[in-house]
Amino acid sequence: MNRATATRLLLERLTSEVVVSNLGQATLDLQRLGDRPLNCYTFGAMGQCSSIGLGIALARPDVRVVCLDGDGSLLMNLGVLCTIATLALRNYALVVWDNEVHMTTGGQPTATAFRSSVAAIARGAGIERVLEPRDEAELARTYDRILREDGPFVVPVKVEKGRAEGKLDRDVVGYARRFTTALAALPRPAAAP
Amino acid sequence: MADPSWSKHLADILRRNGIRLFATVPDYIVSHVLEHLWADPECTVVTTCREEEGLGLLSGAWLAGRRGALLMQNSGLGNCVNTLGSLNVASQIPVVLVISHRGDLGEFNPAQVPVGQATERILDALDIRHAMPGSIADLEAQADGLIKLGYTRALPVAFLLPAGLTGGKLG
Repeated sequence: MNRATATRLLLERLTSEVVVSNLGQATLDLQRLGDRPLNCYTFGAMGQCSSIGLGIALARPDVRVVCLDGDGSLLMNLGVLCTIATLALRNYALVVWDNEVHMTTGGQPTATAFRSSVAAIARGAGIERVLEPRDEAELARTYDRILREDGPFVVPVKVEKGRAEGKLDRDVVGYARRFTTALAALPRPAAAP
Repeated sequence: MADPSWSKHLADILRRNGIRLFATVPDYIVSHVLEHLWADPECTVVTTCREEEGLGLLSGAWLAGRRGALLMQNSGLGNCVNTLGSLNVASQIPVVLVISHRGDLGEFNPAQVPVGQATERILDALDIRHAMPGSIADLEAQADGLIKLGYTRALPVAFLLPAGLTGGKLG
């Protein structure tokens, strides 16, 4: 599957969800294909995209959070899969673009190019809802599920190798402030009695 | 002899500054603070596998409007260095770090000493303002101001907890 196409399929389904993107390719894809204030771009701290999304989902249980991570980054922070399973937040989904390489640094293979499976690791961590869409039609149905049904979900997606086009806009502080303001402006449902 | 009520003072300081979300990789010393937080139904404590994972989680929560504190040993500060710099400092995301200071006066474990001795310099190198209160009076005198400074600057701040305050860990 092509990562840009897979990103577009998500973007066309979004309303008021938060999308957190991994540094490098995922953030560049998202900026270029669908910049919006509820996108939370990351630019550093490799590995932390998944954890940042988990913190947003924990703080705002009324908002759905989708992380767009990469295989290389998730492999740096595998413990997060245990924390995702333990917290069991219904509003959290982790999509992993698995191109089996460190694309941003020149395409060096990761462990998923050999014997390791993101899906198997996620299941071993205790995550029940691991979905592995294998083509665009399955991915579209998967997005419909993770945007509506109770999670947490982990969605490894095998994607083609390839760099995103264009150049990152690295207004690191500006994007963080824009995101915080946009999320704070989303109305919260009335507190439960 | 350390006054064991230091941990209650610290838990109260964090709570009265609007912090209800905590991440931790526990150690013997910060677990005394955690006991107060675990017992408080208004507080959420998330035990992560690695300290920088807690930092990512608290950073996301802050972007979503919640204050957070990370409780760990100074070995955990070593695990956090890149994320503190390239996420919290770079993006101006505040967080309160509560760090037990192993590897200093009275230490029994040689493996704790190198990072223990480097701890203040690691924080200084990242421009993270820190306080190392030697007594409860010292803690109470500095704590609210340090936390306020962190949120004013939108940067991490750190409490280093020396053995003089906590009693340390006896080998």
